[in-house]
Amino acid sequence: MAHENTGVSGGQQTERAQPQGAASLSTGVMRVFDLSLGQMLWSRRTVFMALVVAAPMALALLYRILHASFGDPEVNGQAVRGTTLFGMTIWLLYLRFIVPILGVFYGTSLIADEVDDKTITYLFVRPIPRRSVLLGKYLAYVVSTVCVVLPSVMVVYFLTTPFDLRIIAQSFPALAKDLGLLGAGLVVYGAVFAFVGTRLGHPLVLGLVFAFGWEQFALFVPGYLRRFTVMYYLQALVPHAMPQDSAMSVLQSVFREVPSALQCIGWLAAIWAVFLILAAVTIERREYVLEQ
Amino acid sequence: MIIASAGIRSMIGKRKFLGLLLLAWLPFLIEAIRFYFAANYPQAAMILGATRESYREFFNYQAFFVFLITIWVGSGLIANDKRANALQIYLSKPLTRAEYVAGKLSILIVFLLLVTWLPAMLLLVLHMLFQGNLDFIRANLLLFPAITLYSFLQVLLAAFTMLALSSLSNSSRFVAILYTGAIFFTDAVYGVLYAVTGNTSFSWISLSGNLRQVGNIIFRMKPVYPDTPWLLSLAVVVGMIVVSTVILDRRVRGVEVVS
Amino acid sequence: MTVTIATDARPIVQADHLSKWYGQVIGVNDITVAVPPGVTGLLGPNGAGKSTFMKLMTGQLKPSKGAICVLGEPVWRNPRIFGRVGLCPDQDAFYERMTGADWLAALVRLNGYDEKRAKDAAHRALETVDLLEAAGRKIGSYSKGMRQRVKLAQAIVHDPELLILDEPLAGMDPIGRRRTIRLIREWAREGRSILVSSHILHEIEAMTSSILLINNGRILAEGDVHQIRELIDEHPHTVYVKGEDPRRLARAFLAEDDVIGLKFEDQAVVVQTSRPDAFYARLTELAASAEAGAVSEVTSPDDNLQAVFQYLVK
Repeated sequence: MAHENTGVSGGQQTERAQPQGAASLSTGVMRVFDLSLGQMLWSRRTVFMALVVAAPMALALLYRILHASFGDPEVNGQAVRGTTLFGMTIWLLYLRFIVPILGVFYGTSLIADEVDDKTITYLFVRPIPRRSVLLGKYLAYVVSTVCVVLPSVMVVYFLTTPFDLRIIAQSFPALAKDLGLLGAGLVVYGAVFAFVGTRLGHPLVLGLVFAFGWEQFALFVPGYLRRFTVMYYLQALVPHAMPQDSAMSVLQSVFREVPSALQCIGWLAAIWAVFLILAAVTIERREYVLEQ
Repeated sequence: MIIASAGIRSMIGKRKFLGLLLLAWLPFLIEAIRFYFAANYPQAAMILGATRESYREFFNYQAFFVFLITIWVGSGLIANDKRANALQIYLSKPLTRAEYVAGKLSILIVFLLLVTWLPAMLLLVLHMLFQGNLDFIRANLLLFPAITLYSFLQVLLAAFTMLALSSLSNSSRFVAILYTGAIFFTDAVYGVLYAVTGNTSFSWISLSGNLRQVGNIIFRMKPVYPDTPWLLSLAVVVGMIVVSTVILDRRVRGVEVVS
Repeated sequence: MTVTIATDARPIVQADHLSKWYGQVIGVNDITVAVPPGVTGLLGPNGAGKSTFMKLMTGQLKPSKGAICVLGEPVWRNPRIFGRVGLCPDQDAFYERMTGADWLAALVRLNGYDEKRAKDAAHRALETVDLLEAAGRKIGSYSKGMRQRVKLAQAIVHDPELLILDEPLAGMDPIGRRRTIRLIREWAREGRSILVSSHILHEIEAMTSSILLINNGRILAEGDVHQIRELIDEHPHTVYVKGEDPRRLARAFLAEDDVIGLKFEDQAVVVQTSRPDAFYARLTELAASAEAGAVSEVTSPDDNLQAVFQYLVK
């Protein structure tokens, strides 16, 4: 069988553009962000996110309809005020469920999904630092979730708040705080679970244990344990009264300590920075062995 | 049987999962120690003594482990087969869809019963052994059927719901989040309505709330949510199992038609 | 036994006592090799360590021991190298919801291309692999062959000087395979170096005669397949001779001691010789003089990759 020599010396040479060196971190981050944002926004996860934020909006809409038809609805002789509904929605739906679950869901899967789908190879063989892959995806997560969750909070606010400029003016600072703390929650939980996703096996299970197991337990126990949660600092920033919907909530409110806003913001910033840096360092050094 | 035994063996081979199973027996250990002290130190019996309510409480302690094990074992049961295109291979063998689903369900049911029914029954036996007489058992004969009935209801609800969700997607992670939403989100929505109205009549919205309600009735205790009829709670639980069965019937097919 | 044929050119891949293990499993075992420019086939059975070696070359895995350099630079944690290297991995994995064109453009933007340049590069790459018609369709709707081609497009879209192709022909139909082999040869003529892995021997032979033979994580042989074959002189050379009178041919062959065995096949005699040069010289004379009848065909089933492979891998 004849074999042609196909070596370099054999044939024509085409002019090749000079390849660029590795892109800077920020350029790499923005390029990965561009690639990931569309994927995140137009995926099934977004359907889940939309369903989850639709529930409080649906409750608020129902309240608005009842209020418009019959005034403040009464249940068991108790008037259901819009501001109360809004406060409870912030506490029980957004803060205790939506923000942590989105952090767990998206944060743990930033890299884990690419590894499971075996598409991580394409990102790691480009001239960008590996950490820019993580940071770009993290940025896409923050933008996607903030752009869906915060507008839904505003919709709930406007549906539950009487259309009285005086009341709106009075309650607007509280709304701004709510938006800020929920945004901070998404950012911080995302960083924590991004690290969990890059470093640990079974990141989703661990994330759920942390968010719905450890945090609930630690907040309930008096002492210093609660400082090893994100929720402790977020809860301290909530401008609404704490709910008393269950025995756990009652006990939490009894043992509740409220650090200053500055302390909370400081600690949240520190948690965010530490976990994001750890995640970036992990992805640089770790091998991702894909399942055959 | 083959699907079930292969699935069970593969889970048992994972050390981290075995660790979780062991951890799930921690409440049993604590309760067993409590019963021992209550039986052997009369001074402690007043505070640590076991009652019918203790056994009901035990299931509350196990609820989080039931959730974790359901997620760990169940989220990929059908989703991973769909992802690997293995569903078509399974159903091209002399295996009916019912056998396939039963096999998958069995995997989850076995592990869930291992952390619910088995430790509860063992606790009852240990209680009797520590006491050295059958007085408590004779006074609480209903505990045997109550533990069995409640465990099976809890396990069947978790297993059917998770398996149905697993058949809806080929991403086990997405399935796990859907299940988490079904459990915690419905609870949170009820929480908002209760906090605002002070009324428990909306407890049927919460999947875990319905189970708690039915559990209390099974153990002949006061309902958790006095404003919600327990029959409604039972209807929601049974309805969920039925809906899951329908979903499984529709989704577990050898050929997927993509429009 | 390891057989090495020396070359002069600066190596594109240089491994120095390179080893990689996963727990108790050794993926690559103390490999020291310098891969010259041009097209080199990485050949070995399934589980030989080809993919592991390629993953080490492309920085997806970190060496457990030793070192590896690509185009003169270390690979691990050196993303700069990927401006000059294109990888076509073996896994069938894509962003299924993206179109081929969008996917390529998005990936090449990670190489620093702006939007317009990225679109042009994607267009060119798709044209090269004959996928322009399907460029606007989602990758999830592509056939197996199209998926393999879009993977190749992704490897060349940024015009790299070194291509590392892990089983690039997997899943392709015969026409697709031929087309891809032709492409690989074209890319080599354009000045690229290509390292292509496969376990399908005749495909490697169609692309190159320069091979690296790997098995159980070790390099068994490297260099030109013909020269390797010649050096394996412990293994007798097999020659198939078809003629009008095989028995007369056989009597003539057995007259000298360079023939150590023979057997008859349909109108032919298959000879085992320990001195192929001497044997071929005699055969030429016999054929020219027609002493043992006319000789219609002479082939050496041995002088190919299959025989080399089977011998060394056994």
